[in-house]
Amino acid sequence: MMLELISRNILHRPIRTFITVVAVAVEVIMVLVVVGLTHGLVTDSAKRVEGIGADVMVQPPSASVFMAFSGAPMPIKLAGKLQELKHVRYVAPVLLQFSSSGRLDIVYGIDPQSFALVSGGFVFHEGHDLQNPDDILVDDWYAKARNLHAGNSMSILEHDFHVAGVVEHGKGARLFVQLKTLQELSGAQDKASVFFIKCDHPDDATAVTDEIQQMLPRYVVRSLKDYMSLMTSSNLPGLQIFINVMISLAVCIGFMVIFLSMYTTILERTREIGVLKSLGASKAYIVRVVLGETTLLCTVGAAVGAVASFVITHVLVHAFPTLVILIQPEWVFRAILIAIVGGLMGAAYPAWLASRRDPIESLAYE
Amino acid sequence: MEPILETDNLWKIYHIGKVDSPALRGVSLQIMPGEFVAIMGPSGCGKSTLLHVLGGLAQATRGSVLLDGNDLSNMQDAERTQIRRCKVGFVFQRFNLLPTLDVRGNIRLAQHIYGNEFDPHRFEMTTNVLGLSHRLHHRPSELSGGEQQRVAIARAIINEPKILLADEPTGNLDTANSDAVLALLRQLHRDLGQTIMMITHNPEAAAYAGRVIHMRDGLIVDGIPA
Repeated sequence: MMLELISRNILHRPIRTFITVVAVAVEVIMVLVVVGLTHGLVTDSAKRVEGIGADVMVQPPSASVFMAFSGAPMPIKLAGKLQELKHVRYVAPVLLQFSSSGRLDIVYGIDPQSFALVSGGFVFHEGHDLQNPDDILVDDWYAKARNLHAGNSMSILEHDFHVAGVVEHGKGARLFVQLKTLQELSGAQDKASVFFIKCDHPDDATAVTDEIQQMLPRYVVRSLKDYMSLMTSSNLPGLQIFINVMISLAVCIGFMVIFLSMYTTILERTREIGVLKSLGASKAYIVRVVLGETTLLCTVGAAVGAVASFVITHVLVHAFPTLVILIQPEWVFRAILIAIVGGLMGAAYPAWLASRRDPIESLAYE
Repeated sequence: MEPILETDNLWKIYHIGKVDSPALRGVSLQIMPGEFVAIMGPSGCGKSTLLHVLGGLAQATRGSVLLDGNDLSNMQDAERTQIRRCKVGFVFQRFNLLPTLDVRGNIRLAQHIYGNEFDPHRFEMTTNVLGLSHRLHHRPSELSGGEQQRVAIARAIINEPKILLADEPTGNLDTANSDAVLALLRQLHRDLGQTIMMITHNPEAAAYAGRVIHMRDGLIVDGIPA
């Protein structure tokens, strides 16, 4: 009977119900897409670094786990010293540079030979490897997003490049240029941002890490396994705060919409509340009716929001191929819970107000 | 036999700003089980206030109200709500049906609030007596005034209350529907032994009752004896 009463109330005002459901859905979409975007960004970045195939990474002192945030203060001659260490098979120096021309991209400056030895080489969809100083390789996702093909020209870092080839994604960055070219463009001659090391065997990674750490005590030396475990949004400076702020905003929207919706409902149904009281409905019963209605509205809104989030993600990824949005199942449940709890908080005061209405005044309400 | 409802020196004073406005000025009456009592009086004489206090919707300022042995005047709101739920059925002039529910839902709602599981036998008997069996799936907006008031009566008696309190039950009805509703109340009183207290300002309606009490200025002026 309670469910019938609640559902009939909801169906009785379809416009109000629609707007409330949409608002809750937007709240859930905000949470899921923002968290999905940040998680996707971090996971995609980590997977691409993992895809290089190195066993150990060496970064400058105090370097961030997010490599693009680090500069290039390591002398490239360190590569030679690292190469001499026991169990080290190959060393690939890489210089990283942000490009913000038009969009935010990370460019890898690589020595094609050493990078191919560590990573096993690129898989080419089109064209050939870096041969000339102005050559650039783009991965297939980037090429699809920018409609680029081997032989095209593109400008980046205020420099015109010739697209030498389109390679399979997943080898660190989406853009690769010659190490020397990037060193010149970024004024970092003979410098590298990171050394990727391939060991004789993956099991040697710990021993190699320890040895390098002894040799270069202030440098950041990580096995790829450690690196992957550190690549979470909570380790990216400010990202967790950004997520929390966005979630708080979403909760505020849900809270206010439900508050207004239920408050106006209570005013509109003053007489009905009087009828319920005349029938002997307790305060708890009336609170249950209001909160039950809220729970149903929020549940439907949250379900719509969850489904819409996947649809929006699909559309966004289709429109922007380099965008990675990862919606995790645990966050779907969290977002639904956030929407319902936020909604119940918003409905708490109207419910309390309704339960305290004077039955005689309510019955006389026009 | 003990009265089902008894008041002694019942006062109800409304505080409007700094002014005290007494609506009841020491009402004493007794209603015996199975009685059909009409309360008459001019507008503003305190009839509706008396009904609200007797039904536990409002608290008395002074005096006592004994309903089936329970003194409502000493009770908190939650206790009066429970008494109202279990022992009182209300019928209002404006029907006060929930517009979102159909006839069946409106009647079942009273059972649900009472805490009873749906009793199909009681439901069928009540809707048959009130001639509602063929209108169960209609919304209030699809019913005539007389039908709506019959639904309100069905809702009021579905839990077998000790007393049915009717506030101008024919005030919004035409003559034919008024007669039908009053005949139904009399039938409930005669056939089911339902105790009824009805407020009206219509002498023809009051004539259906077994006893008529007259009120004026918050006091009972005649018809006190049970």
